[in-house]
Amino acid sequence: MGAYSAFGLLREAIRGPRAWQPLWERRAPEAAYDVVIVGGGGHGLATAYHLARHFGLRRVAVLERTLIGYGNVGRNTTIVRSNYLLPENQHFYEDALRRWRSLGRELNYNIMFSPRGVLDLATSDDQLAACARRGNAMRLAGIDAELLDRAAVGRFARALDCGAVRQFPIHGGLLQRRGGTVRHDAVAWGYARAAARLGVHIIEQCEVLGVVRVAGRIAGVETSRGTIAAERVGIAVAGGTAELARRLGIALPLETHLLQAGVTEPVKPMLDRVLIYMFPHGGEVYVSQSDRGGLVFGGMLDGYPSMTQRGEITRVRDVAAALTSLLPQVKQLRLLRHWAGMNDMTMDGSPIIDRIGGDELYLNGGWCYGGFKATPASGYAFAELIARGRASELIRAFRLSRFASGHLLDESGAGPFPSRQ
Amino acid sequence: MLISCPFCGEREVAEFEFRCTLEERGATAAERLYFRLADPRRSLEHWQHVRGCRMWLELHRDLRTGRVLRTASVPVPPADGTGS
Ligand SMILES: Cc1cc2nc3c(=O)[nH]c(=O)nc-3n(C[C@H](O)[C@H](O)[C@H](O)COP(=O)(O)OP(=O)(O)OC[C@H]3O[C@@H](n4cnc5c(N)ncnc54)[C@H](O)[C@@H]3O)c2cc1C
Ligand SMILES: [Zn+2]
Repeated sequence: MGAYSAFGLLREAIRGPRAWQPLWERRAPEAAYDVVIVGGGGHGLATAYHLARHFGLRRVAVLERTLIGYGNVGRNTTIVRSNYLLPENQHFYEDALRRWRSLGRELNYNIMFSPRGVLDLATSDDQLAACARRGNAMRLAGIDAELLDRAAVGRFARALDCGAVRQFPIHGGLLQRRGGTVRHDAVAWGYARAAARLGVHIIEQCEVLGVVRVAGRIAGVETSRGTIAAERVGIAVAGGTAELARRLGIALPLETHLLQAGVTEPVKPMLDRVLIYMFPHGGEVYVSQSDRGGLVFGGMLDGYPSMTQRGEITRVRDVAAALTSLLPQVKQLRLLRHWAGMNDMTMDGSPIIDRIGGDELYLNGGWCYGGFKATPASGYAFAELIARGRASELIRAFRLSRFASGHLLDESGAGPFPSRQ
Repeated sequence: MLISCPFCGEREVAEFEFRCTLEERGATAAERLYFRLADPRRSLEHWQHVRGCRMWLELHRDLRTGRVLRTASVPVPPADGTGS
């Protein structure tokens, strides 16, 4: 597998379509690895890549139950931002946002990073005050944030008629210009290819059923394709976290909830920003236009726990109503597809990245509905944790023991109710 | 999803509002608050028939099929917190 380049593109164009190589080799698992990463989503693949690239671990395998890209890495609405309120989250997501900027070059793969600006629209004075508070907190942390009044919102987001009569008029908003979108599939494919080029084995259709312990220590994993020996095991299964933790006998403070998204038929460019429209009493829609032209949008969680990966039609209706209230011109468009993803919702809405029980077992999960944007930071930090056995400063706050010690990271202040995070 | 209200019969989920999952175990406060599910595949939940009779319900659900296993009415709205 060679590196991609403009010259290579020209050469392959002349040689014809057969010349392109698969991004990674399909293979069966070997008997033993230094590190096994469970879950071939964005986080698992990024972790494997960094283990090989920056921490010198070469015998690394990623075990994926289904196929690369079938999980939430291929189901999300592709929004990346670092506009958080709590310092621990700010630093972490800011690290991720910085990494997104250069990731395409690093992976030698076009991830279509598009910092088109993420604008939270306030529909009440309270919300605008909350935006101002969050914006000020961000600026204190050295992160860009701009509070916009209604006129400035209209200038920034041309697609939006700010003066239009709406049930919930726009009062202003909080803008993070460096936020935007990244093509989600390209992130999965780019990390998988880059990891495979460094010798990482990417093994699809291999479900992890449990861990193997010898004399009480981790010695490998039990899988649908047999036992695989491993010195260290890293779990990054996102929506599958609750189920896998149950199999391993680990109690985790999380519930599985569904989040849905949809995409309209493709149209000519009409929206060049990411808009998030929040209702005064809860409820929201976020929307951006993909490079193919479809409007990609999502809203709140379905509202109650589920592991079915089948969304509730009620939520599709609510979100469509919010979207057409924000952008009435969308009423003419047909809905092309809508889908759901299972989310690992923690009791405080923040992730868990930790070593479990002093063992060679590591957990990366609890990404809730917002883990895509975290991928590059999480991958590096999780690789560092697995390689060194110790968490770096950046992720120390995401330890599991915070729930027992009371050091929660409840960004939205909703309390221990995952459905309201 | 359909929920069978003991008072109104089978109705669409849109008529109901989910409140929270209920503690099924826990010796310490932290366990009751944050580690309250005994099995992530099943949950005991509080709902209210807000767009119907407004009664409080306790649902036992199988999360893998999405099916309601058992519905019972509870006399008073549960106290804030996780229902303890
Ligand atoms: C509709 C929707 C919209 C979203 N929008 C955004 C957004 O705009 N911005 C944002 O930042 N985040 C968003 N998210 C959240 C984000 O997608 C997730 O937090 C993130 O993708 C999770 O990490 P991952 O990519 O590693 O997960 P996944 O891609 O889900 O990877 C986990 C993998 O583990 C595999 N697995 C599970 N169990 C096992 C097992 N036992 N053995 C082997 N493999 C297993 C699964 O098959 C899966 O492929 C959204 C999520 C959804 C559902
Ligand atoms: Zn009723």
